[in-house]
Amino acid sequence: MLKSMLKIGKMRWQEYNIYPSNFYLFTLNRIVEVVVYIFVWQAIYNQTGNAGGLSIEQMVTYYILVTALRPIILWGCNEEMAHSIRNGQIHKELLNPISYFQYYFGMEIGEFAFATVVGLATFVCCAIFWKVMIPASIVHFLLFIFIILLSVPITFSLQMIVGTVGFYSNSIWGMQILRKAIISIFSGIIAPITLFPQWFQTLSNFLPFKELIYTPINIYLGQISLNEIGIIIIKQMIWGILLYMLAKLFFNHAVKKVTINGG
Amino acid sequence: MTNVIKNISLYLSFVKTSMKEMLIYRLDCIVGMLSQIFTELVEILFIWIVFQNTETLVGWTFEHILLLYGITLLSVGISDFCFDALYDIGPKYIKRGDFDKILLRPIHPLISIIGDSKEFTALGYFGLGLFLVITMFIKLAIPVTFGLLLQIVFFSIIGASIIGAINTIFSISSFWTYRSNEVIWSFYRTYTFTQYPIDIYNGFIKLLITVILPFAFVAYYPTMNYLGMNSYMLYLSPVVAIVLWVIAIKVWNFALNQYRSTGN
Repeated sequence: MLKSMLKIGKMRWQEYNIYPSNFYLFTLNRIVEVVVYIFVWQAIYNQTGNAGGLSIEQMVTYYILVTALRPIILWGCNEEMAHSIRNGQIHKELLNPISYFQYYFGMEIGEFAFATVVGLATFVCCAIFWKVMIPASIVHFLLFIFIILLSVPITFSLQMIVGTVGFYSNSIWGMQILRKAIISIFSGIIAPITLFPQWFQTLSNFLPFKELIYTPINIYLGQISLNEIGIIIIKQMIWGILLYMLAKLFFNHAVKKVTINGG
Repeated sequence: MTNVIKNISLYLSFVKTSMKEMLIYRLDCIVGMLSQIFTELVEILFIWIVFQNTETLVGWTFEHILLLYGITLLSVGISDFCFDALYDIGPKYIKRGDFDKILLRPIHPLISIIGDSKEFTALGYFGLGLFLVITMFIKLAIPVTFGLLLQIVFFSIIGASIIGAINTIFSISSFWTYRSNEVIWSFYRTYTFTQYPIDIYNGFIKLLITVILPFAFVAYYPTMNYLGMNSYMLYLSPVVAIVLWVIAIKVWNFALNQYRSTGN
């Protein structure tokens, strides 16, 4: 099973690499996105000597890491899933010898691999232009990687939930953007959570999104003590299981309604 | 000259057809518009957070930045609506072989391609831009004279045509790679740089957005004029637009001569 999932992941990876230019353009896109944020905070730092309570090196590193992690958190295959529902491809996918969720998890592995490579390239390119801080310690760095890996079940389940909406409506484009916007706001993509109002910080403590971006980066920067990380890991796991069950239930309910368009 | 006018009027009749098409996909259109507005609101949230930490950004207040943001969205909305089909040249026309059909028409292929644009969701950008501009003019207590109104309309259209020309220039990559969208998108996104005062950037980025990809003429200089900061640079905008279009058409015609059908 794992073997066939990895095979599907490899196929997905190769699909991305049909055009080698993809990789360079995606990386360029990332860099273009980060420029604005960095210069805005640098301007504020030059004016007030303070960038939202962080030092300017920390702020720049924060945004560069955000740009590197963004594809890993946001990219996924829910567009493909909705597409396959729309054009009737789904009847083949449902008859696959591996389950539908496993099939798409295989795709997700390919996406994840490509996103990781783009993220790494972005990080290296940005490190040439700006001064980037190195991880607080090797333990912090390993925990940073571990927390990101723990976010995979969460992002995958969210993808499946949004993709399943494709059973009910013809276009999931709006839902897709909603998913991206919610993750962007609550995970700290647009700004570190500590800069938001107090009520928002309390709210984001309960939601799973903060652990996708904000927490790993703060671990990288050494802002979170090792004792707290244990609680974070437990929270991540609970959310991962909860969302996975929700996605499974929603899908099992929706798949009974499938009407195949001209399959 | 008559040739140019003929082409533009032809283009307008294409736009009229697209507008009618919009009425068919009413629900998709509304969902698209709302989600477009939603993504922009996320960006505005960033600006708001920035201004929780400072009073001004190189002399610009929160309201000034939002006005600049709104004016940019006006131009972006118009250009997205009018030139969206440039993204399709590679994947939709050349790869599938539909481009040969367009070559047979008795008009310039560029006109029939951009006339095919129907990005209704761009109206979301336009609406949000309009809302921001109106509220910020009221908040900043800038007297809205007829002259100012005329200026905004004129320079928004000029701004849109600058964006369109830049996208047209980069769309030629599709003649070689059969996929233009990512190339256009990468360069197009640099317009987001000009949603903030360009004084915050270093020399290289200033050069990039004023000379190499002159997005600063889209909204930044006009907004400075509306705010009474710098009143002359904006008169360069029409010149920039014309120069860019001349380059765009030259480059496009050159690429057209290199075109080889994919033989579908």
